[in-house]
Amino acid sequence: MADTPATNGVNFPLEIHDLTAGYHKKPVLWGIDLQVPKGKLVGIVGPNGAGKSTLIKAIMGLVPPSSGWVKIFGKPYNENRRRVGYVPQRESVDWDFPVTVMDVVMMGRYGHVGWFKRPNKADREIARDCLDKVKMLPFAKRQISNLSGGQQQRVFLARALAQESDIYFMDEPFAGVDAATETAIIALLHELREKGKTLLVVHHDLPTARNYFDQLLLLNMRVVAYGETEEVFTYDLLQKTYGGRLTILSEVADAVGQRAK
Amino acid sequence: MSEFIPAFEWQRVMVEPWAENLSTTFWIVLMGFLITAACGLIGNYLILRRMALVGDAISHSVLPGLAIAFLLSHSLNTLPMFIGALGAGILTTVLIELIHKKTRVKQDSAIGITFSTLFAIGVILISFGQTDAVHLDAECVLYGEIAFVPLDLVQTELGPGALSVVEKIPGLNSEIFLNGNRLTIAPPSVIRMAVVTGITLLLIVVFYKELLVTSFDSGLSSSLGINSTVVHYALMAMLSVIIVSAFEAVGAILVIAMLILPGATASLLAHRLPPMFGITVVHALLSAVGGIHLATWLNCSPAGAMVVAGSVLFGLAWVFSPSQGLLRRWLGRELDELNEEELDRLAKGV
Amino acid sequence: MWVVLALVPESAWSAKIGDVAEESSLGQQAFRFLSFRDPSVRYAVIGSVMLGISCGLLGCFIVVRKMALVGDTLSHAVLPGVALGFLCSGVSASGLFDWSFEVANITKNPALIFCGAVVAGVAGTFLVNTLKQTTKIKEDSALGLTLASFFAVGICLLTMIQGLETGNKSGIDKFMFGQAAAIGEDDIRLMLGVTLLIVAVVFLFYKELLVTSFDAGFARSIALPSQWIHHGLMLLVAFAVVIALQAVGVVLVSAMLITPAAAAYLLTDRMHRMLFLAVGFGVVSGVLGAFISFLKPNIPTGPCMVLGASAVFAVAFFGGPRHGVLTRWWRHVSRSKRVQRENTLKALFQVLERRDAQPEESVSLKELAERRRETLDDVSGQASALKQHGLVTLHEEGNKILFTPSGWQLACTIVRNHRLWELYLTNEANIAPDHVHDDAEQIEHVLGDDVVRELERMLDDTTRDPHGRAIPGFADIHKPFAPSAPGPSGYGRS
Ligand SMILES: Nc1ncnc2c1ncn2[C@@H]1O[C@H](COP(=O)(O)OP(=O)(O)OP(=O)(O)O)[C@@H](O)[C@H]1O
Ligand SMILES: [Mg+2]
Repeated sequence: MADTPATNGVNFPLEIHDLTAGYHKKPVLWGIDLQVPKGKLVGIVGPNGAGKSTLIKAIMGLVPPSSGWVKIFGKPYNENRRRVGYVPQRESVDWDFPVTVMDVVMMGRYGHVGWFKRPNKADREIARDCLDKVKMLPFAKRQISNLSGGQQQRVFLARALAQESDIYFMDEPFAGVDAATETAIIALLHELREKGKTLLVVHHDLPTARNYFDQLLLLNMRVVAYGETEEVFTYDLLQKTYGGRLTILSEVADAVGQRAK
Repeated sequence: MSEFIPAFEWQRVMVEPWAENLSTTFWIVLMGFLITAACGLIGNYLILRRMALVGDAISHSVLPGLAIAFLLSHSLNTLPMFIGALGAGILTTVLIELIHKKTRVKQDSAIGITFSTLFAIGVILISFGQTDAVHLDAECVLYGEIAFVPLDLVQTELGPGALSVVEKIPGLNSEIFLNGNRLTIAPPSVIRMAVVTGITLLLIVVFYKELLVTSFDSGLSSSLGINSTVVHYALMAMLSVIIVSAFEAVGAILVIAMLILPGATASLLAHRLPPMFGITVVHALLSAVGGIHLATWLNCSPAGAMVVAGSVLFGLAWVFSPSQGLLRRWLGRELDELNEEELDRLAKGV
Repeated sequence: MWVVLALVPESAWSAKIGDVAEESSLGQQAFRFLSFRDPSVRYAVIGSVMLGISCGLLGCFIVVRKMALVGDTLSHAVLPGVALGFLCSGVSASGLFDWSFEVANITKNPALIFCGAVVAGVAGTFLVNTLKQTTKIKEDSALGLTLASFFAVGICLLTMIQGLETGNKSGIDKFMFGQAAAIGEDDIRLMLGVTLLIVAVVFLFYKELLVTSFDAGFARSIALPSQWIHHGLMLLVAFAVVIALQAVGVVLVSAMLITPAAAAYLLTDRMHRMLFLAVGFGVVSGVLGAFISFLKPNIPTGPCMVLGASAVFAVAFFGGPRHGVLTRWWRHVSRSKRVQRENTLKALFQVLERRDAQPEESVSLKELAERRRETLDDVSGQASALKQHGLVTLHEEGNKILFTPSGWQLACTIVRNHRLWELYLTNEANIAPDHVHDDAEQIEHVLGDDVVRELERMLDDTTRDPHGRAIPGFADIHKPFAPSAPGPSGYGRS
């Protein structure tokens, strides 16, 4: 990367320092510290309500942090948006929206197109390629409400590909997809990793998490553990992540939230 | 019943408006078309953003803005009216946010409280400030007086030279524009509305991408660096401007129909935004023309009739829509299933 | 419902006081209203009370069910029904198939208007539901669409009526913004009947309404017909809207449903209290609106009532004891003052801790200011605030500061909270020791006794925090404390 200074490689694709963030002043994440090296496929696992989506939103500045900071390739997110691709949870958009599959993928190019301009032929080519990669090209002209859940997920993935980012955040890309699609998606993720992209993927299924990811981030309101999959995927740590919430942490978070009201 | 519903005489209803009162009819239809088109275009985005009822709220609450602007400036000039309406529109948006963010009152109640309060203030201001000079009267506030539009034509006298030139230009030499040696420019309200409609169209074309992304997926829009709050408020400001220019002609409540009906009709018939805009404009034209005939026939308010015509068009679309139509429902779904299968086969074949 | 209608005899439309009143002055008008002798004043007041009761009761369910805008749609949708009901009075049937329509016969017949309006309102809600079920049109668009289309039909009918050659169309224009003074005896009977019906239904089916409003899924699971309850509620709302029309008008009647109930919602958490409050607010704003509009001719009643309700809402919004914005702001201010005080106490504690001194020793304000990194003025302000709360005493012209026993206890507690929390975050939540301070700075002020006890149970060793400093324990907090007069001063920094 041109703008990654060679100085002992300190510019991590993602660096989070002491991040506390939440909704309406009520903390959901506490003191998150994280440094993700380049070219890793990182799985984020944790129980429901652990704050996985919140972590991604906080990284993208959609949830304001109450302390700490986030850096993408050594710069604040706002200065490096272009290098970030985002696959939201599927339920977060209106699938009755009057756009075709191609239109959605084209949105991924908008960041490169800029104000007042229209996407040109090259953009369309890229969008087509990305659709092809997720095997959705035959559906290009379909309205998005006529897609199955797995197909919708692939469209989102194609859109993220079209963004041509260096680091990707994906919120549950495997939710509600069949085994074949899951394999296809994971193959795609591996391919991206080979190209040196960094990927953070929220995942719910523990058994497969072990095989899919290089590294795991165990999250439950705070980082329980982060490291290479073999090291982190232990009974103890998983027990700590899933077994029993830190009741005090959520109690106190509630107290803080109450106070803000 | 004949006293109440006059007989449908083809000559009187369909021909005379254009043959005898061409100038009046033309301006009314043009105004109706411009309003419905502008409202419909921006209404598409309101519908997509689930903000149809915010449009409802703003259309009511521009009233105090207008009333205050009038009481302060003692005139019905365009500029103070626009400023007043813009202020009221933004105030509405802010108040709704404030009430539902700061308390446990939900958004729907917040909308209801905000617009009814502002509207009530407006009505009371108007009934206090009632003088002969004011022509904002309380009824007009509700359904406007589009029939008054052509009463206020701007005309210039032409010298003989200019007259002979103008007479040669096809279109311009009709009775709409030419009356003796006087050339009609247009009623000022129509000019204003035309400008507003033009600007709306221009903005929608220029900011197509940004509007699309912020409406579809605010997460993506922020990752692309598009500030959705700015887009939201810009949309609201534009909406206020459109509503205030339409206010005099169609009033506070009918304008809601013009915001929603074209877009809703279009959403039944098309699956992409650009064709939806096309349908919106066609819908606007048809309902304006249909409305004027309906109004002539039944002898009722033209603005109301235009909305009724628009509703009928919506009803037709609802029945005949190829994808969501009632007709299709009734006939069964075989057609549909066949299509899906075919598409899937295609998909597998590739 | 038909019983209610049977109560209503057909009779001519009574004269409007608004028209008679034009000559008299403001004071006279007020006197006329308050003396209550005028029958039309009585009607107006009774009518406003009725509408306050019925709208307030139903409004509560509307607001908690998040159907405020359904109410709005319904109230606009009744307009064509009003016009049709008006027209129907001109129809006379002399045989089964022998109908005739005489414009001259048209009168304002409350019963017919009531029926027409209810039918139109129900048709409107039906249209909204069908649209939502058969197309992809979302609720908000369906509502707006129905509202405006029905209203447009109503406008067409009204303008047609206004074009008719009849002397009797007065009154119909009052349906737009309402005129309480136009309420007649027939209307009052109708209103009374409907209000009684609404009160009875709400009283009898309170449980069912409550359950279906709170959790429709659960209601279905205990075999309550939520769908039917919903339809029944909508029908009642249509009734309430229609009886309120005469006074409030089509355009603003929804506000009388929403605003008093929303104000009540801000003030209480219990449904039955909310019902009473909403009824109270509805009645007050109704009567107030009627009074104000009575003072001057030409002022429509509806907007006055709505403004009355909005004023009540504004008061609740700003000054509500629990959720009010000003109240919360005040709570916030006093809380930040408390945090400020606690921080100063903590700094005082830390200064003493640094020099290994006893709690009875005094500290100079200058030292405290250095510790807090603040100016001397700020610190002396805080010191006097502490003194006011009896947490410290000041000596040597306010230059020395000294703990009182309760101040010492509070300081120990805060420091203990802080350090326990740091310990908890590092030991149990795996957060790096150098990252826990900021969180603890906030949390120390909100930790309750229960949480602290739980922390103590959970953490094995609570003597040292992650940075190695001692955590003040029970013994420290309750140290025998014998403050001498100004302690020996002039200690250097240790
Ligand atoms: N918009 C919001 N406003 C307030 N609180 C929220 C909001 N979104 C989430 N929360 C709260 O934040 C916490 C974490 O939510 P988050 O969505 O990040 O969890 P998650 O790990 O993604 O869960 P899931 O596996 O269900 O997707 C939850 O307790 C939730 O209640
Ligand atoms: Mg999630």
